[in-house]
Amino acid sequence: MGEPRKPAEGDFLPGTLDMLILKALSRGQAHGYAVAEFIRRASDEVLKVEEGALYPALHRLEVRGWLRSTWGTSENNRRAKYYRLSALGRRELENEAAYWNRVATAVTRVMRTV
Amino acid sequence: MMRALERTIGVYRRVVAVVRRRRLERDLNDELAFHLAMRAADHARSGATDEDAARAARRQFGNVTAIKEQTRDMWTFPSFESIRQDVRYGSRMLRRSPGFTIVAVLALAIGIGANTAIFSLVDGLFIRGLPYPDADRLVLLIGNVQRAAVERRGNSYPDFLDWKTRSTSFVGMAAYTQDAATLSGSTEPERLTLESVSPSYFSLLGVTPTYGRVFRDAEDAVAGRDAVCVLSDGLWKRRFGADPAIVGQTIRLDGRAYTVVGIMPAGFTGLTDLAELWRPFMMSGWDPAARGSRGFNALARLRPGVTPAAAQAELAGISRQLERAYPDTNAKRAVEVAPLADELFGTLKGPVVILMIAVLIVLLVACANVANLLIGRSEARQREIAVRTALGAGRQRLVRQLITESVLLTGIAAVAGVGLAYLAIPALVASSPITLPTFFTPAIDLPVLGFTVGAAAACGLLLGLAPALHTRLAGLANALKDSARGSSAQSWHSRRLLVVTEVTLAVVLAVTAGLMMRSVQKLTAIDPGFNPRGVLAVSISIPRAPQDSQQPATPGDRTAAPKLVASSRVLLERVQGLPGVQSAALASDLPLDGQSGAVFYQAEGDTTTDAQTRPRAYVHRVTPGFFQTLGIALHGGRTFMDTDPAQSVIVSDRVVRRFWPTQDPIGEHIQIGSNVFSIIGVVDETKYRGLPDNPTADPDLYFPFVDRGLQSLAVRTALDPAALGRSLRAAIHDVDPSIVVYGETPLEDLVATQTAPPRFTTWLMGLFAGTALLLAVIGVYGVMAYFVAQRRREFGIRLALGADPRGILKLVVAQGARLIAIGVALGGVASYFLGRALQTVLFGVEPTDPSAVAAVALLAVVALLACYLPARRATHVDPALALRNE
Repeated sequence: MGEPRKPAEGDFLPGTLDMLILKALSRGQAHGYAVAEFIRRASDEVLKVEEGALYPALHRLEVRGWLRSTWGTSENNRRAKYYRLSALGRRELENEAAYWNRVATAVTRVMRTV
Repeated sequence: MMRALERTIGVYRRVVAVVRRRRLERDLNDELAFHLAMRAADHARSGATDEDAARAARRQFGNVTAIKEQTRDMWTFPSFESIRQDVRYGSRMLRRSPGFTIVAVLALAIGIGANTAIFSLVDGLFIRGLPYPDADRLVLLIGNVQRAAVERRGNSYPDFLDWKTRSTSFVGMAAYTQDAATLSGSTEPERLTLESVSPSYFSLLGVTPTYGRVFRDAEDAVAGRDAVCVLSDGLWKRRFGADPAIVGQTIRLDGRAYTVVGIMPAGFTGLTDLAELWRPFMMSGWDPAARGSRGFNALARLRPGVTPAAAQAELAGISRQLERAYPDTNAKRAVEVAPLADELFGTLKGPVVILMIAVLIVLLVACANVANLLIGRSEARQREIAVRTALGAGRQRLVRQLITESVLLTGIAAVAGVGLAYLAIPALVASSPITLPTFFTPAIDLPVLGFTVGAAAACGLLLGLAPALHTRLAGLANALKDSARGSSAQSWHSRRLLVVTEVTLAVVLAVTAGLMMRSVQKLTAIDPGFNPRGVLAVSISIPRAPQDSQQPATPGDRTAAPKLVASSRVLLERVQGLPGVQSAALASDLPLDGQSGAVFYQAEGDTTTDAQTRPRAYVHRVTPGFFQTLGIALHGGRTFMDTDPAQSVIVSDRVVRRFWPTQDPIGEHIQIGSNVFSIIGVVDETKYRGLPDNPTADPDLYFPFVDRGLQSLAVRTALDPAALGRSLRAAIHDVDPSIVVYGETPLEDLVATQTAPPRFTTWLMGLFAGTALLLAVIGVYGVMAYFVAQRRREFGIRLALGADPRGILKLVVAQGARLIAIGVALGGVASYFLGRALQTVLFGVEPTDPSAVAAVALLAVVALLACYLPARRATHVDPALALRNE
């Protein structure tokens, strides 16, 4: 692993980080580190995120009521904050996913057109 | 629905977060530290040293401080930041158009300043109230008698004691009466106003002496026995050099040695608000055994939970018991329980409420004016607003921007207004011809500031909403396409509505002011029956001659002629000889000096009267020159001569009208007690005891003067009466230096004092009405100027095509006249009903008085003039210019 490239803002489409977080938590509760790891691994390390940027997003979603949080003990016995989806968050994830699929399909179709 | 729910949740979380700020901070630190530790452990597993692992983790994480900051922001209200932006943007907008800002701030500052000033009076009267603990439970007990009307007469000591022992409604009861005494000693003798009070007087009011003590109950048990006194702070400092050692020493009052037992705190001047000294009630000379001798009031404190009405009911029962037990003295006698605050402030409350309403109306007119300006500006800003909308500013944000600007405007105006009020309040108090109680000191305190802030905030919101409401923010896209100058029909509609409102409110104020001015004019035009011009009233206290001072005065005996250091006649001769003096007279009392006393009398041979209609009259002892000096007209018979026997009387007209309506009264007799007096003259009825009318309809009886310690001197002069005081004093002191001369007042001033409250209220009312009128006229002018500016092009073309300029003039004026007419009609109707409501404060003026019509006419004319100016401009439009401007 070489010198990590300084991530530019363009690495993410605006708004997609929220969606990815929701997706990461759709399988159950997790702490911030696990969410970051999920995004990194699931995207085959294509989506690089300045890990810190995750936290404002997590807190924003919590304030908005899409996430709930509890403090628990991590696998290595440290105090950690665990996030999980609320009912609102789950619904939001469905909306976002549907929207994303529509856009992605449309973009793909456009790109295929010669 | 979902959105609202989300927003509510968000607000709730943020509030919680603000409350638990420290906890949030700690959690955030822990959370980020956990992430960094996990990442570092990850790196360490791949073989990095601990140090490198930690560094790599941080690098991957990004700027920890910035992230923390951003995360924290999620929990705070983003509006704080954007409000600051709004304020900054708003102040830039206000700075950019200084003309608008100055006019708007000035109009609002006048409105808010006037409200602050008048509200300080409201605050003093209704919020701060009396400076005594639990003052709402303090009442005055005022004896009265049922005659044609219930008349207040004061109490007698035996009655007072019976109320005290038989009632259960009160914590305590104290008799008090205002007296005066001559303080003699090392310096020039001085006449002091004092109160003779029961010992409990002080504890009922909740005041304690700064030095010494107040009276003991035993010191108020026997008439004339215990010569003790308590000094006011003012007298103590003025006469005794603020020396606490004065407690225990004696001072001389009316020649008698009084032991000083205490000193009151600064600012305490008793219920009369004049007292410089207190002594036991038993030292006042009131006969404690005479049930029929009435005149003082009593202070009482209600037991907690007892209402004045309940106390009134209990005392009414006791009065009936006394009436049965002592029919001679107590027939038709009762007592009134009057809340103290009503007695001390009562006369001020009505006018202050009226003034408060008036200034609120002024503020409304000012707001309407500024709203009009703001609408004009928001039109000019349509483009700017449209651009901001297109760039993504939400409707909410734009409305907030507009409200921020107007709140900013009213905020500046509020600061300026408080400044104005700060200057105006002392001027108001100083210029007030009403003697305000010393414990009523209007000032800008917390409630007043609260009111000002509230009023300013309300104005700001109102003003911000006005353009926001009428501007169709939703349809702003159109504004981009339209010419910036294009104006909607709706704005014209709002403007006209505002102008009609302004005119209506101004009419209401103008009519009210007109009616009040008319009322004051009628008040001051009242013929008091005497001629106060050029007359100086002076009080004189002549000490007893040394050989006479040994025997104490008999209480209640007002006619005895004691031996004095100087004869009154000698004094009078000396005064009459002074240069500039046309005539002079001595009297027991003078008109409007509040010293008159009354007696019951009987017309000889009359059998038509009963206890309720028993004739009562005020008695005055006067020297022969009295009627000439005071200019009281003689209707029949003659005035006194020095040779007239003591059994002569001159009666006022009403006595004759009642008992000898058809006969010649000269030579007839009246009887007072067992004394018979022969009528030698009839004089005009006078307003001897009050203006616009005497408190009671009793006539006056004049008797030949007898020497007395206390007397009043009336001097008629061709010079300025106020300038005569010095030479008068010198002449009297020349006769005997121990004579005390005090209270020199031109009689005209006494007359003016009687009508002072309505004159003052009216003056302020006129000021406010004038302000409203001015603002309304500016409003009319503004809207008509706008109307003309909008149609410049049309007028230009019309004129170019040969239209008659007069036609255009007519068109414009008619447009304005319609608005004025609607406002005047609405205002006229409103003020008619208001005039009805004001009947209690108006003196002999109906709401349909010509002055009301005159006020409306004046307003209409001035408003029409304001239309005429823009109209004239319309006729001078240069078509070429108007077209090119487009």
